Formats: sequence, structure tokens, C-alpha cells
Amino acid sequence: MKHARVLLNGSELDVTVEDSFSETGQLKSKADGQLINEADVTWLSPIAEPGTIFALGLNYADHARELAFEPPKEPLVFLKGTNTLTGNKQNAYRPDNIAFQHYECELVAVIGKEGKNISREDAMDYIAGYTVCNDFAIRDYLENYYRPNLRVKSRDSLLPIGPWLIDKDDVGDISDLKVTTHVNGELTQDGTTADIIFDVPFLVEYLSKIMTLKPGDMIATGTPEGLKDMQPGDTVVCEIEKIGALTTYIVSEEAFYGDKY
Amino acid sequence: MTNNPIVKGKLVCVALNDSDQFEAMQAEFGEAPYKSAPTQPVLYFKPHNTWSTEGAEVEWAVTEGQPAEEMVVGASLAVVIGKECCRVSPEEALAYVGGYTLVHDFSLPEKSYYRPDIKGKCLDGSAPIGGAVVPASDIADPQTLSVITKVNGDVVNEMPMSRTVRGVAELISTISYIMTLQPGEVIAVAFPGQRAAVAKGDKVTSEIVGVVSLNNQLGQ
Repeated sequence: MKHARVLLNGSELDVTVEDSFSETGQLKSKADGQLINEADVTWLSPIAEPGTIFALGLNYADHARELAFEPPKEPLVFLKGTNTLTGNKQNAYRPDNIAFQHYECELVAVIGKEGKNISREDAMDYIAGYTVCNDFAIRDYLENYYRPNLRVKSRDSLLPIGPWLIDKDDVGDISDLKVTTHVNGELTQDGTTADIIFDVPFLVEYLSKIMTLKPGDMIATGTPEGLKDMQPGDTVVCEIEKIGALTTYIVSEEAFYGDKY
Repeated sequence: MTNNPIVKGKLVCVALNDSDQFEAMQAEFGEAPYKSAPTQPVLYFKPHNTWSTEGAEVEWAVTEGQPAEEMVVGASLAVVIGKECCRVSPEEALAYVGGYTLVHDFSLPEKSYYRPDIKGKCLDGSAPIGGAVVPASDIADPQTLSVITKVNGDVVNEMPMSRTVRGVAELISTISYIMTLQPGEVIAVAFPGQRAAVAKGDKVTSEIVGVVSLNNQLGQ
């Protein structure tokens, strides 16, 4: 089943997304079964109570080559603040006066059960399901301290996620899913999760040796090659086979912050 | 691990904000992997599994299935955000502070600042926050405060806010341009550059004299 959260008339609503959605554009309220038109809602992050957001750097063999890095021997993990989260078909901003901001289409595994010292073999028991995120980066802001730093990776709106959380068992094998990004309709990123260096079971074991994982924690598993600069006005669609397609609209910093700019 | 009633949403910590350490590291900053000194505040998160409380016991770290050889602690003045804080100037920043308290950052030794230190910093229960939150209205100027840390009664560190690279108002402003801060989010603004070594069973007490104290003990 696909689970989503939306805003309808100012109220947050939990909905399911049925197979018929692609034809009908209708979502179903979990509370009362009411059918709701997508046109009437604002998509939210599908994770109601987001916990720790882990993200992986250089975790696709092809992307590490693209950035001229040796593939890492140990996962490069960084954390992101929940201020970064936004939903499907929402705005994300390009900061003023920068040269290079790129998208990163990523498979996200969402933790469903608390655990520590979880073995690789048991790891999938702790996954509730999957979603898609776009882990934007601003390369101008990289410095060699806690790289990639919070200025690059923890900005408001720069982790669109969704559209929905799909149950693990509805996806099955995740070891060879197509990972694509389209910018204004043009295919710019075309990879497969088969190129992932440290896979979900490995990461669950690795992280849970360090710390307790809790429901709502998320692991964004890195991105394949195909970086491209983004400009206000661009529409970015990140899609992962069997999981979903996440659309984001790039706007200027001034347009995003409005009165607070 | 204990839920902490003070912090909500996020705990942002500032590293390399002790000007003594910052000056002492100038030569190292010029070398690989850093290649140049940081131009921006060096920030890290302590995620929600780390949050703990006044009086809590702090688990001794386990790495690769074995008890860690060493642990260290740093104490910092902690700013608790009082109202939503988005893109504020340094001049306005202190008006967004709800109160002040302390954070203990227990970790593995800080050997490198190059990559996010998940292994060293994300240990369960390693970030006690408290004891009380002193209302911002009771603190005229946070730059006059100083945090003293004792291990088993002996002073091991003193971090006066006058020794920081960047002060409270500047940090709040800079961070608020990266991320909108919400009420209950906490910024640990200044740890001493030399973290203090601790051993199993040690009692760690930090204090801003006459204002607030935070007491924890290492587990066995």
C-alpha cells in the first residue's frame, strides 16, 4: 500500500494512493474513505514524525567516478535537519549568487521498528517501506570540514520527499531499480540501484552498531551520476522504478522566502 | 537513553569555535585534507537518539563490539530558541532566544573534522541537555558567561564566551540563513577546543556559576 500525507483545506490528512490514482487522480482518506482530488491538496512529506535523516555521499560506483573520487571503503554518512523536508510538487529554492546547485535522486528506506546492533540478515525486518527524495546540494558551499556540511545539505526545502511511502513488501527486491531524473522533460540522470556500493541491509547494520534506529528515521541511499545545474523555473522529476516519481519546482531565494527574504 | 523535554526538532552544535584552538590549528588547516581554514561556522547535529537529561547516566561507548578505549566530553552554553527564527540579523538574533542551558557532548575523541563524525558523535544518550532553562530575560549578555567543567570534582575545562571565534548572536543569525529554527530547537554554541578525557564511572559536572549546572555520570 502507498501511504501519503496531504493538506486539504488547511488540515493534515493521511491518505492512501490506490492503483487507480494514475487514471482518476484521486486519493482516499484513511479516516473515512472519502475520495479527494489531487488538485485540491498540497502534498506533504509522507513521514508524519520524521526522525534522524541519514544521507549517503558517494554511494554509487558511477557517481564516485564522476566526481573523481575513489569509491569509499566505509560509508560516507551525513545528517540532515527536518527543516529540509518538503512534499511532492512543492517549491525548492536556488540560493542567490551561487554557480552550481544539483539534484540527487535517491531511494529512501524508512525505519519501521526500533533496533540496535541489527545484523545484515535481520535488517529488512526493520524497514517499513520506501520513498524517493531529491537531496539537493550546493557545491559552492562545500568546505573540507564535516564535508558535506550543513550549509550545503541542511537548507530549508532542499530535501523534497515522496510522493508517498510504499510498503516494503509491495516493492520486493530493491537491488536493481531504475533511478532517473528528468529536468524540464529531459533525461539527465539514468542509473540503477544495482550500482549502490553500501546497500540497505549493510547500512542498517552499520548505523545500528553506532546508535539505536527508531521508527521515522530515514536512510537516503545516495545518487547515481548525471549532475546538472538547476535554475529557477526548472521542474525536476526524480523517479525510482516501482516506488514513485517526485516532482519539484525550482524557485529563486526571494520567491521562496517572500516577506522573510 | 532518555527523552529530553527541553530540545525539540534539532540540536545543532558548533565545533572549532574556541579561538585558542582555532589559532593553534592554523598550520593544520592549511594541510590536507582541509587545505584552508574554515570560512563558515563548523556545524554538526546530535540526533534525537543522543538527547538525554540532567542526572542521566551516559553509556560507555562500544565500537566494533568492544568497549571504546577513550571517550571525551565537552560542555557548551546552549541556546534554546523561543520563537520561529528565519533569516534574522545578528542585531535581532537574541530576541529569538527563549532561554539558556547547558549541553554535554560526550563522544569518541575528535581526531578529524574532515567528514561528519557519525561514529564519534551519534552515540545513544551522549547529549544531556539541562538542568534548567534560564529565561533569556535573566541574561543581559550571553558573551559574559563562562562554562566550567569538572570531572570528579577537578576543574578540567573553562570556556568563557569571550574566547569564541563567533558569538551567540552571530551564530544564530548565520544558522537562521541556512535553516529556519523552531521553538525548542537548541544550538550548542561553544565547546572548549581541548575536550576532556573521561573514564568509566566518572562524574562530570558543568556549571555557569550562579546560573545553571548539568550533572552526569559515565556508565561502567
